[in-house]
Amino acid sequence: MTLSGWITLFAPLVGAVLITLGGSRIGRRTAGYIATASTMIAFVAAVVAFVIALGKSPDSRSQLSTAYTWIQAGSYQSGFSILIDQLSLLMMLIVTGVGSLIIAYSLGYMEGEDEERRYFAYMALFVFSMLLLVEGGNLILLLAGWGMVGLSSYLLIGFYHRRASAVAAAKKAFVMNAVGDATMAIAFFLLIKYTGSLSFSVLGQPAGNHWVLNVVALGLLGGAVAKSAQLPLQTWLPDAMEGPTPVSALIHAATMVTAGVYLIVRCNAAFEAAPHVQNLAAVLGALTLLMAGLIALVQVDIKRVIAYSTMSQIGYMFLGAGIGAYADAIFHLMMHAFFKATLFLAAGILIHALSGEQDIRKMGGLRKLMPFTFLAFLAGGLALAGIPPFSGFFSKDPIIASALARGGWFGDMLWVAGLAGALLTGIYTFRLIFRVFLGEPSAFVREHLHTEHGEGPISMRWTVAVLAVLATVAGFIQFPPFWEPVSNWLEPVAPPLVTPTNAQEIGTLLIGVTLGALGILIAWLIYGSHRFKAPKPSEILEEKFFFDELYDAAFYRPAVWLAKTLRRGFEEPVIDGSIAEVVVGTRDAARWTARLQTGLLRTYVFAIAASLAVLLVVFVAVR
Amino acid sequence: MNGPGIAWYLALAAFLFATGMLGVLLRRSPLIVLLSLELMLNGANLALIAFARQAGNLDGQIFALAVMAVAAAEVVVGLGLIVAMARKKLTLDVDKLSFLRG
Amino acid sequence: MGNFIVWVVWVVAAFSCLGSGIAVVSFSNPFYSALALIGNLASLAVLYLLLSAEFVAAAQVLVYAGAVMVMFLFVIAYLGGRADAPWASGPSLQSVAAVGAAAALLVEVIVVIGLAASGSLGDAAQVPDSFGSPAEIGEAFLTDHLLAFEITSVVLLVAAVGGVILGHHARAGESWGSESR
Repeated sequence: MTLSGWITLFAPLVGAVLITLGGSRIGRRTAGYIATASTMIAFVAAVVAFVIALGKSPDSRSQLSTAYTWIQAGSYQSGFSILIDQLSLLMMLIVTGVGSLIIAYSLGYMEGEDEERRYFAYMALFVFSMLLLVEGGNLILLLAGWGMVGLSSYLLIGFYHRRASAVAAAKKAFVMNAVGDATMAIAFFLLIKYTGSLSFSVLGQPAGNHWVLNVVALGLLGGAVAKSAQLPLQTWLPDAMEGPTPVSALIHAATMVTAGVYLIVRCNAAFEAAPHVQNLAAVLGALTLLMAGLIALVQVDIKRVIAYSTMSQIGYMFLGAGIGAYADAIFHLMMHAFFKATLFLAAGILIHALSGEQDIRKMGGLRKLMPFTFLAFLAGGLALAGIPPFSGFFSKDPIIASALARGGWFGDMLWVAGLAGALLTGIYTFRLIFRVFLGEPSAFVREHLHTEHGEGPISMRWTVAVLAVLATVAGFIQFPPFWEPVSNWLEPVAPPLVTPTNAQEIGTLLIGVTLGALGILIAWLIYGSHRFKAPKPSEILEEKFFFDELYDAAFYRPAVWLAKTLRRGFEEPVIDGSIAEVVVGTRDAARWTARLQTGLLRTYVFAIAASLAVLLVVFVAVR
Repeated sequence: MNGPGIAWYLALAAFLFATGMLGVLLRRSPLIVLLSLELMLNGANLALIAFARQAGNLDGQIFALAVMAVAAAEVVVGLGLIVAMARKKLTLDVDKLSFLRG
Repeated sequence: MGNFIVWVVWVVAAFSCLGSGIAVVSFSNPFYSALALIGNLASLAVLYLLLSAEFVAAAQVLVYAGAVMVMFLFVIAYLGGRADAPWASGPSLQSVAAVGAAAALLVEVIVVIGLAASGSLGDAAQVPDSFGSPAEIGEAFLTDHLLAFEITSVVLLVAAVGGVILGHHARAGESWGSESR
């Protein structure tokens, strides 16, 4: 089983290396095929590992395989090891499965792009990094994967490197992730100091030392918040839409941004030992899901709407992980990967057909012109809104029900927030669908839409079809409270802290579906049948709650001011000055000493004679 | 030994050396400078021979012979330089020959 | 009696040495300076004889006075003996300083000799009659000081080569380094 795990891990890396070494010697399509093949090999290996694990008894499903001792410093030691257990198997399947589909989609989407090979190399590198993150057998390897995922994200967001906005967005993403990396590093330092190791078993230690436990959990939470674009480190995600659409689908919807959720579930021992931090995670999740849902109501860029919806759904996952419903959070992660990827890739088909236009105000009436895309969008949108029998229905509401099960005013508040989010989700999702697809084709569409060869290349269509089907039916794997194979599967690794009663589950289900349907109805009334006029969006929502401006004033401007002041006040006079002084001083000293070189024989001889006289005295005196 | 003691010879050698040094320092014609240099060398030679006699060791005389050979070699090169300078129509005045001025 | 003669010879030789030395430095005509140096060398030869250095005295006369000085005279004759008046311009800082340095050196050496005269410079050693004879010199050169002997010959070779190069007449229109045509 671990052999399959190793193959899964390294296949995409081999693909990336091959593409890199091939350079311009290999064709562009070849690079794409190499990337697709390597991720599909990884997927097959993951499936093999999963099947083997299915055949084992629940106790022996967790296996740690160490290749060699990687780091050794004093008494601290880390091996290069992978952990194949129930949780990592699920993540591996999602990453490689959805990843290979998206890379196959890119074969059509990125065709004819400049530097196509670079794209595929980066995508393969990303898949490898994400696998390293989820398969890492200790916290150091997790951190290595964490950092590399951030790097791949930076490289891919800034893929269109000639666009200043793309470069800026890439930098923003990287810097905000770096904040999270820093907090995680602090957590790791504390763990090494107090427990001497970074294996997963030391999480939750040293028992009783509340200060250390809280700081460690906070550090981990900081990293998760940064990577998953939750409050307060969320501003990078909408800007990350500057990257190509498949990148948005893979990294900023299905996998990388969910790494934060994975981290919390994997390190649940650390969070359970610091309950206040875990509650904080739930609170941040709830706040984010509401805030993102509100902002999504007023966005006009198709990709940004979907991005904010991602932020909101991850808020649900944080909420779930924060209250201890780990299996529900992971299940929602999986379903979300399917329907969010469907939405992004279908949007990609749209953008591709409209030659890069992303403003929904220019679109309209595409239902008849692009029926396949409409159906895919519909599947994804219904799943997102949580309408049965689509997948989102099965995964979203159990989280909200768990909040109710937690009890107390805290749980109730989270329950209300989750349900309000369901309403918002319905509204903004179908606002998008109705505006883009319903009505008469807009002038822009009539001019710019070209569907001569069908709605898109075949590679784009079959992958979207697969994902749409998954978004539709995959939910039936788990239907709490009736059958829960996923929860049972994950139980040895991440036992849940709360278990809702049947009444709570079914009650929440019904309310959630009703609210979702109500949201769709509201969207229909405003954007579909135009019975009511859309209210003017408030400035707070338009400006995304002014977070960008806040961070600009609080962090960016002071940093720039400090840099400028140091340059003027310190670097130029002191450092440059002292170097210039050295130069000038040396030159002056040389010029002064050169006066001894008179070129006259007699001066030189005189100097010899005089020094001889002096030396003689010295020798005689000293003896 | 008959005659004056070694000290007298050494004093004479010192005088010769100092005289030669004066010539090197004060004269402007390179020919005279070379001649004064020879004078200095001879002063040194006298001192060497005197010490050889004093110690009863032949090494001083050997050294003096070697000095003589080297002086001859040096004169060859020096005169060659002076002839080359004259051929290039340079003034034979060491004060004016300051091309190596730094 | 023998002692007295030695003293007389010594005084005569010493004074002629000194006188010719001062003459070398003082004449404005280089030809006269060269002749004075020859006289100096001859006086020195006499002094060497007094010091039991017969071979060195002979070499001095033959090689130094005979070959080297003749070469000097050749060059002076070739160059026409341009003269310069040494003491024409009054005492400059340069000349005063030079005299000072030379005088200082002289004084120091005399002082040292004086200090050591009674001590380490004591009595001269007793030497056999063959001291300083060609046989002895030859034996010393070829046994104890063979290396010096050989190296001196190398030095002379190098000087000869240098002399040839320095005296090389450049052909018309040709400069150093472009020998090949």
